[in-house]
Amino acid sequence: VKPWLAATIAMFTVAFVPSALLDARAQRAEASESSVKAAFLYKFANYIEWPPAAFATPASPMVIGVVGADEIGAELDRIVPGRAVNGHPVSVKRVREGDPLRGIHLLFIGKGQGSLAQLLRSAQGQSVLTVTETDRGLEMGSAINFVPAGERIAFEVSLEAAEKSGHRISSRMLSVARRVLGKSS
Amino acid sequence: MIALVARSLRLKVLLLVMATTAAALTLSAIGLVIYDLRAYERQWTNDLGTQAELLARTSAAALSFGDRETTAKDLAVLRVRPRVMAAAIYTRDGDLFATYTKPNRTNEVFPARPESDGYRIEGDELLMYRTVVEGNEPIGTIYLRALYLPWDRLRDYLGILAAVMVASFGVAALLSGWLQKRVTQPILDVTGIAREVMAHRDYSLRARKTTDDEIGELVDSFNAMLAEAGRRAEALREADRRKDEFLATLAHELRNPLAPIRNALEILRMPESNPAMREKARQMMERQLAQMVRLVDDLLDVSRITTGKLGIRKSVVEVQAAVRDAIDTVRPFVESRNHQLEVQLPSQPISVEGDRTRMAQVFANLLHNAAKYTEPGGYITLSLAREGDEAVVRVRDNGLGLAPESLVAIFDMFVQVDRSLERAQAGLGVGLTLSRQLVTLHGGTLAARSDGIGKGSEFTVRLPLAGATLPEIDVATPRGRGTQSRRILLADDNTDFANSLAAVLTSRGHDVRVARDGAEALATAARFTPDFAFLDIGMPKVHGYEVARRLRELPAMAECVLVAVTGWGQEDDRNRAREAGFDRHLVKPVAAEDIDTILDSF
Repeated sequence: VKPWLAATIAMFTVAFVPSALLDARAQRAEASESSVKAAFLYKFANYIEWPPAAFATPASPMVIGVVGADEIGAELDRIVPGRAVNGHPVSVKRVREGDPLRGIHLLFIGKGQGSLAQLLRSAQGQSVLTVTETDRGLEMGSAINFVPAGERIAFEVSLEAAEKSGHRISSRMLSVARRVLGKSS
Repeated sequence: MIALVARSLRLKVLLLVMATTAAALTLSAIGLVIYDLRAYERQWTNDLGTQAELLARTSAAALSFGDRETTAKDLAVLRVRPRVMAAAIYTRDGDLFATYTKPNRTNEVFPARPESDGYRIEGDELLMYRTVVEGNEPIGTIYLRALYLPWDRLRDYLGILAAVMVASFGVAALLSGWLQKRVTQPILDVTGIAREVMAHRDYSLRARKTTDDEIGELVDSFNAMLAEAGRRAEALREADRRKDEFLATLAHELRNPLAPIRNALEILRMPESNPAMREKARQMMERQLAQMVRLVDDLLDVSRITTGKLGIRKSVVEVQAAVRDAIDTVRPFVESRNHQLEVQLPSQPISVEGDRTRMAQVFANLLHNAAKYTEPGGYITLSLAREGDEAVVRVRDNGLGLAPESLVAIFDMFVQVDRSLERAQAGLGVGLTLSRQLVTLHGGTLAARSDGIGKGSEFTVRLPLAGATLPEIDVATPRGRGTQSRRILLADDNTDFANSLAAVLTSRGHDVRVARDGAEALATAARFTPDFAFLDIGMPKVHGYEVARRLRELPAMAECVLVAVTGWGQEDDRNRAREAGFDRHLVKPVAAEDIDTILDSF
């Protein structure tokens, strides 16, 4: 074995392998983040008490609307089929800005969505519970907001916003929330 | 210890009570412990299951949203359950998500993967798994490990049981003490009385009755037994006394005739005595001898009564004949006392079934008593009458009479009303006992009646009439061949008796041989070939039955008349004699006249 060849291989190894590994890890973290958030969205439904008028019948679907988050939408499409919350089959609906929010129970507004404030107001008026993933999302009027917590995803809850849209959030879920904004009163 | 228990009723009772108590307590304790162990398991698993369920609900959200800290905080609630050693929550994929360990414990090892729902007891630990559900979806598993210590409870139980056992034994001891007072003490009292009675022969002692239960019955029975034993002892003493008196009387009575007989013998020996004197002496000897024979006959009858061997030969008998026999017997005595005897017999024959000789004996005895207990010159009547289907014989006198209390006692053995009188009049005091016995054997009754002392007495014999009045057949009617000479063998170990009898028979022209025992009898018979053989049954060497059997086997002896001579006239003896080949049977003592009768009948 020639020393120089060994040295060269060692150099390449030191220079490229770590960067390749880091890349792969970043990609996986992103994918994992989307799937976690999608799972959370679906799970939130278990801990939310909907207004009486939200469902026409006990078997009416529970619709999760997604706007500005294609990856999470795709992930939801993957996990939702065949699942139900309190007897309501869960379905996913892609929403664009300006679309009517009628029939949607839970609306996730992704990072990529520009007119956040307007969407939030509109959703609040139509008894739709909103979930965002923005800094200060709750302050902008969102009921639930994803926040990073180290390697995990956490969430925070605004009781005020939830109440405005006519929802009650289970205390068990609140016990897990990173931050809970109290009611306005 | 065992010997002690075997001897003490109290210890037995105590042991019984304690054994029963211990058995009952142990059994109930085993039952309770089994029940409690099961109840403990059920209760504890329910309890832990509830806890697991609560934790599952509480921590579902935290698990669901991946919040380890919150989950751990939820689990930390278990601090208030000191028996829970460790707990953990696994994710749906089976990875350990959050754990709890009891404070101050380290090195807790959690199962790598959860098991399916349920619980399991491992040593002194209870392991429980329960699925955490969100909505309808299982999202993980909760694991609890808790101490499972039924043995503590068991120990408590055994402690309580021991305390109860000790208390029960105490109660048992008290109970047995009480029982001892109620049961053993009365028994010991009875035993004590029994000992005292044995020691002092005092049958008047009585055990005290304290209860009405079985012990009370025992005491009653014991007292009744004492009374009976007392009566028996008294009766024995009385019988003993009577026998002593009887023996004294007997000796006296047997001795009395001997003096006149000796005197008579002296007169006979005297050369200067004339024929008239000799005849007088001879008559005196005959009278005295007759008196002795009567005494000894009575004595034999007494022993037959006491051994139950007095028997009668039944045939149809005319009562008049028996009465005449009796009068013949007693007339000399009655006349010697200058009594007037009046006899009233119906001309119509009255027949009963019975033994003429024995019946005559009864009537003679009654007449003899009447003559004896009436001052000389008295008046005696005997009447026979038919009353209903009974023949009634009454013997009346105007003599001493009887006190009312004596009316029953006179029939007892050896009783004489007036012993001072008895001294003068002779007798053994067995006559009435014998008479009543004989009448009873005939199916009749004998009763006494008197108006009191000095007012005479009346004895009444009642005998059932025979079914038909058949004439008496006297089998012993002489055939009138009295003068014929016979060849006679007498076998008896009493040689005086045999020789004297032989002398009498020889004097009447018979050819007589004497044998002293069975063997000699056989030898003599073979040589002598007698016409008649009188064989004593109780002979030495070969007894009479055997001699008879062997004689019958000899061809020369085929025609010989065999006569058995026994002490007892029992039916059994007669049968046995017949079977042995005897033709006739005589009861001792044998008189020359008895032999004449038999010789004449062949």
